[in-house]
Amino acid sequence: MEDKVRIEKDVEVSRRSILRTSALVGAGIGAAQIFGTTPVAALGGTTNATLDKAIKEIVKGKTIKVGFTPPVLSENFTQIESAAWRKMAEFEKRFGVKWVWERQAPVGDFNAVQGTLGIVQSWISRKFDAIAVCTGANFATVQDLYKTANSKGLKVFQFNQPAELYPEDQLQTVANIGYDNRWQSGYLAGKYVAKTLGGKGNILQIWGPSGSDWTRGRRIGFDKALKEHPGIKVLGEADGGYVRDKGFTAAQDLLTKYPNVNAIYGENEEMALGASQAIDAAGLKHWNGKTGIVTIGADGLVSGFKAIAAGKLTATVDIGGIDQGQNLIEAIFADVALGQTLTQIINNPTQVVDKTNYKWHQAYAEWALATPRKYGK
Amino acid sequence: MALNYTKISKNTSLQNRIVQDPSFGIIALLLFAIILMTILEPSFATSGNVTNIVNAMMTVSFLALGMTIVLIAGGLDLSVGSTMAVTAGVAGKFISYGIDMKVAFICALAIGTGIGVINGLLVTKLGIPDFIATLAMLGIGQGVILLWTQGVPILDYMNETYYYIGGLKKIVGPISIPMIVVVVVSIALAIILKRTKFGLNLYAVGSSPFSARNSGVNVDLIKISAYAISGFLAAIAGIHIAGRTTTIPPLIGKGYEISAIAAAVIGGASLLGGKGRVIGALIGALTLTLTRNIINLVGIESSWQAIVTGSVLVGAVLANRASGEFGKKLNRRIRT
Repeated sequence: MEDKVRIEKDVEVSRRSILRTSALVGAGIGAAQIFGTTPVAALGGTTNATLDKAIKEIVKGKTIKVGFTPPVLSENFTQIESAAWRKMAEFEKRFGVKWVWERQAPVGDFNAVQGTLGIVQSWISRKFDAIAVCTGANFATVQDLYKTANSKGLKVFQFNQPAELYPEDQLQTVANIGYDNRWQSGYLAGKYVAKTLGGKGNILQIWGPSGSDWTRGRRIGFDKALKEHPGIKVLGEADGGYVRDKGFTAAQDLLTKYPNVNAIYGENEEMALGASQAIDAAGLKHWNGKTGIVTIGADGLVSGFKAIAAGKLTATVDIGGIDQGQNLIEAIFADVALGQTLTQIINNPTQVVDKTNYKWHQAYAEWALATPRKYGK
Repeated sequence: MALNYTKISKNTSLQNRIVQDPSFGIIALLLFAIILMTILEPSFATSGNVTNIVNAMMTVSFLALGMTIVLIAGGLDLSVGSTMAVTAGVAGKFISYGIDMKVAFICALAIGTGIGVINGLLVTKLGIPDFIATLAMLGIGQGVILLWTQGVPILDYMNETYYYIGGLKKIVGPISIPMIVVVVVSIALAIILKRTKFGLNLYAVGSSPFSARNSGVNVDLIKISAYAISGFLAAIAGIHIAGRTTTIPPLIGKGYEISAIAAAVIGGASLLGGKGRVIGALIGALTLTLTRNIINLVGIESSWQAIVTGSVLVGAVLANRASGEFGKKLNRRIRT
């Protein structure tokens, strides 16, 4: 029975991988440079014995030591890591590469940047092959640290980082695996709200902490969507600190002042879910396709998809955490094992997920979380 | 004539008592803010907003009450946020395993109290400074919840009863279970502090542990008990917040220790020990919650929010100090 389930899941994954590759190539964005021009492009569920053998000969059973440091341990980063493990297990089987994986996250919140710097420094001194970083640390500070890492032969990759906000020529990384927070998240959310409300309505916004690069990027995108739809008015905004209880309290306060809103944008899913609770607590109605309050977040978490299914969250922007995890490993493998040159910005597809399409997004995330092998345990 | 003198004397005494009250300054500041907001912001003095404020201050109230007890005894508990997170996790996870809700809550309360006892033992028996011992416990608590959950929030534990416990559903009108629990706990603590030997000993230990020991007070037991109460109340906060947020992210308790300390200090508790009141802790929690509520209603940009909150904290402490000094001067004038 278990085998049957596994086979079904693997089939689903192969189908998804093909979808993912075609979407990337179709979009003509950075990721296509990995999938479209290297042997790793063949990962799209179509294994090729000759190709695998040829890569195996290059890899020669090499061990790649990777350090993975998210800014916090959360559902989003757990999904990214699980997706990375999936890809690592696949490449280990196909190409004979061995992985040593170490995950360390600073204890604290997104602002616990000193912790991240310390972790990266320790990996530099321990001579890791590749470091995967996502941090809320100051751009210049981390670039200096990456420069040190580069001088010692370490390869630095960033993931889920708003690299698009900084000059590309100043990046000291091999590649940045993620998405564009402006046009692939904030803008999409703004457009969705405008479209759902027919271009006219009042909205509230719950943002992450001031100074966060994610907030900055998504705000640029959302503002652009608002400019394109002048009928959408922002009545109020508040800081929800990226967490549910603060998002809940902030939305409650704003709903007291503006009970007649048509939509609430939570910059991340946790805050959007907090806003959803505030709607319930205020005795207001969720969007039912015609009336009620539209709530939209961003992340693409299993808990968010479940909330969409339950009608508690109208939509979310799936920022492609699973693709990020997979792309990260493909990028590390392409550079460290095959010696290929990558583009700096490797963006995965993102999508607004609502009741019409949440099922496959949820299945994809759950597939990643059910990884058959966990590294670094 | 004699009658008039007595009347004046009584009035002066009452006036003096009000002004000399340790929380007079912050109460005056709160009243000023409330009046100002009522005039400027029509949505402020509505029943909906008042209910929101009261519900939002519940978590910090529990923690601030526990922190006040520890501060009175001359200690400091930095672990309340992580204790709250761990106990929220225990309650949520146990219920999701199908364990009876009451058993889950008892386990959470026992673990919270146990963490408090360990804090107390580290401080009294091993001589580790309060700051270090509870800081270590904060780290251990955060580590435990992160290892346990692997960063994935705890879900699927909510049931109808838990919506009431979290205050998301009200029992009568705007009254919720957490409100009743806060009132009951506050009355119980106020009685303990004012009417029991244990309460007097808490103040004595916090004011001067040396003198208290010489007077035959078991200082270690008093301190351990204070930390145990703090852990117990952090567990109540954990059970409550799990119901309020309907999901338990691993970082759920992050930063709450600072809010608890701030609320207790705003309420007149001293970091040097020997001072603190139950009503003060509640006023402190209200001050923090009200500040956030006003910030959101007025629409102060998020960059300014930390500055405003910090300024309110300093202003509140200064207002309390000023009212204390004013009261002393008034007292001297009456005597002369």
